[in-house]
Amino acid sequence: MNYHFDFSFLDGKVGALLGGLKITLELTLVSNLLGLTFGFLLCLTTLNRRAIVRWPARMFIEFFRCTPALLQIVWFFYCIPMMFDFFIGPIALGIIALGLNLTAFNAEAYRAGVQAVPKEHLDACVALGLRPWQRTFYVVLPQALRSATPILMTNGIGALQQSALVAVVAVGDLMYVGNRLATDAYRPLETYTLIAVIYFALSVPVAQLVRLIERKQDFATER
Amino acid sequence: MNAHTSIEIQTLDEEPSPETYPAFVELRDVYKSYGANLVVMNAMTLDMRADDRLVIIGPSGSGKSSLLRCMMGLEGIQGGEIRFQGRRYIQGGPGYAPTGIDRALQRQIGMVFQHYTLFPHLSVLANLILAPVKVGGMSRQEATERARAYLVRLGLESKLLAYPSQLSGGQKQRVAIARALMLEPKLMLFDEVTSALDPEMVIEVQNVMLQLAEQKMAMIIVTHDMHFARDIATRVVFCANGSIVEQGPPGRLFRQPKEARTREFLEKVLHLD
Repeated sequence: MNYHFDFSFLDGKVGALLGGLKITLELTLVSNLLGLTFGFLLCLTTLNRRAIVRWPARMFIEFFRCTPALLQIVWFFYCIPMMFDFFIGPIALGIIALGLNLTAFNAEAYRAGVQAVPKEHLDACVALGLRPWQRTFYVVLPQALRSATPILMTNGIGALQQSALVAVVAVGDLMYVGNRLATDAYRPLETYTLIAVIYFALSVPVAQLVRLIERKQDFATER
Repeated sequence: MNAHTSIEIQTLDEEPSPETYPAFVELRDVYKSYGANLVVMNAMTLDMRADDRLVIIGPSGSGKSSLLRCMMGLEGIQGGEIRFQGRRYIQGGPGYAPTGIDRALQRQIGMVFQHYTLFPHLSVLANLILAPVKVGGMSRQEATERARAYLVRLGLESKLLAYPSQLSGGQKQRVAIARALMLEPKLMLFDEVTSALDPEMVIEVQNVMLQLAEQKMAMIIVTHDMHFARDIATRVVFCANGSIVEQGPPGRLFRQPKEARTREFLEKVLHLD
């Protein structure tokens, strides 16, 4: 390859890149906050004894798991303003779309955690005289959250990667800024490589942390 | 009734008459089934005194574990009633959960399970004090003192702050026994507590149970270990197909079973040992 990498075009563009990075982080962090909170509530709903409560929750989850994230973002961006006749800004819509998507996936992670608690532990709780809410708060949830943590974190990194999709609806995130720089300067190789390195550098520490937690949990697993 | 064969911890030479010893646990025509085809307790009637240590033996599917689970209030019974300390404890009724259970009586029963049930996210100490503090309203300090005392007795003092994953199987079961004892139950239920253990760990758990026997703890034990049954029981109950086939002091029942069904079972299991 005779290509000469030349990053000089970035002079004066660092500010724009940082601006894009800030929006990407904002999208990721806020959608994770939404996903962690509402995912938990949605999980409780899917575990409800009444089918009438469970059913809408399952529909919600399946909708977000079984349609492309890109389509979800585009749909929210164009359809919500049309349906409800209001526009709350592209970033807010991006956050809602990503957050709801993450909510669906996190609900499944929480649910797997709850269901991984051995039935025998529930029997032991009854034998110890713990009331149902005590059983939930002192025994089930602490164990469920522990086993769900690696999946929740992996989903969280996923949201960082997915956030790049909002560039298609002209939200000025890192991907969007990268697209513009690449076409303005005719330097796609440098620009996209740099953008990739930034996404990679943001994700790798979290991914490593997930591995560390998983190894620690394997070690501590019973039986 | 035949006289007991004396074994180390046995204190009764013969069974006292029912008049002098009021029943502690009474099962009256207890009926339980899972669906129409699987009847696990069929009109079971059983009396137990406060100084009894009942060992329930029998082929799998004979209703042994169900009896313990119903006694603990983990599952309901469909017919009959269970009385405890002279009071109505659980009644027969439809549904999976026990009907009309007396929670105050339930709290006086402790249970240890076949599978490890220590909560893995809590230290040994936290496992021991969880129920006394949250349910019994004991102060954390008092509960900690009591936990320490139990662990000293079990030779597990050094494991106070360990986590369950750091314990051997035998240690886990001993801690599980201590956890049940923390609430000072009047009756202890043991459901095949050594079945999941490696052979060398069985003894350490059985020794703890023998210690409890010396302290006159009332117990109902389900086990497949006939030698242990002989050592700890005041009375052995043989169940098959949801009914009590025969019961009696271990010396008599193991040596001269009256029923052919009992003899057949004992020949099989004692052969395997």
